[in-house]
Amino acid sequence: MRLCLGPSSGPVVLIAPALFEEANRLRAFTVAVMRGLAERGIASILPDLPGTNESLIATEDATLVDWRAAFAAAVPSRPAHVVAIRGGALVDTDAEVVGRYHLSPPTGADIVRDLVRTRLAGMREGGGAFDPADIDRPGPPITLSGNVIARDLLVALKKAAPSVADRTIRLESDTRDADRKVVGRPLWRLSEPDTDVMLAETIAEDIALWIAQCAA
Amino acid sequence: MRSVLADILGLSEARVAAFTPETPLFGALPELDSMAVASVLTELEDRLGILIEDDEVDGEMLETFGALVTFATSKALV
Repeated sequence: MRLCLGPSSGPVVLIAPALFEEANRLRAFTVAVMRGLAERGIASILPDLPGTNESLIATEDATLVDWRAAFAAAVPSRPAHVVAIRGGALVDTDAEVVGRYHLSPPTGADIVRDLVRTRLAGMREGGGAFDPADIDRPGPPITLSGNVIARDLLVALKKAAPSVADRTIRLESDTRDADRKVVGRPLWRLSEPDTDVMLAETIAEDIALWIAQCAA
Repeated sequence: MRSVLADILGLSEARVAAFTPETPLFGALPELDSMAVASVLTELEDRLGILIEDDEVDGEMLETFGALVTFATSKALV
């Protein structure tokens, strides 16, 4: 299953979506960026990774290798640019594309730490006991942030680094390196889901400029 | 710290500007439930370039605005 917007010829952007709960929180924003790209004559594709959204695979069977292969297989026949949103930057490693653009890429360890932290926080409010060290021990899938996740996937994520990007964008509040920093709230982390129309426009414009410059 | 709380919890600027060191947080602020605590800590890590270990997180550092600021400052200066 995938969402496609924009013209049927010319440059196309393949979106590597954020992972787990961040994908839900960023859905509206991601679609807003895709609309902004379509308005600028750039098509985009938002695929579902195996085990997410409407994919037919159960979440607990998803592995990082599967995700990377599925994403690489989603590259269309016309030249494509990857725009990876957050953890999508860990999944675009095998895709044959013209260029990679990353929005606020975390390491896999960052993603797992956040999942564990949320689960431990849930324990304080009466959730089931959880030992983070269990991830590294063989056993059944673990439920984190409402997702049932195989231990192999968590172990693989802990070691995963984002692919090398041609352009990296981060929020101004982020201390890590970036080609450009933009003003905005960390939409993937908000208590109440929200979108940011202005940020979506800024990002769509930045992507369009980058694609035009790549093609020049 | 005020902007982290404002951004993550969706609080108004006026509201966070009124926070004092004694302002109670966890348990008193309905917006700050356990899930939101996790988000606030991760956001602090990104903004201050620090790493917060799971065993460093206890009830005391989340009790008041001042306690959270003290904790974040001590991590940022190491």
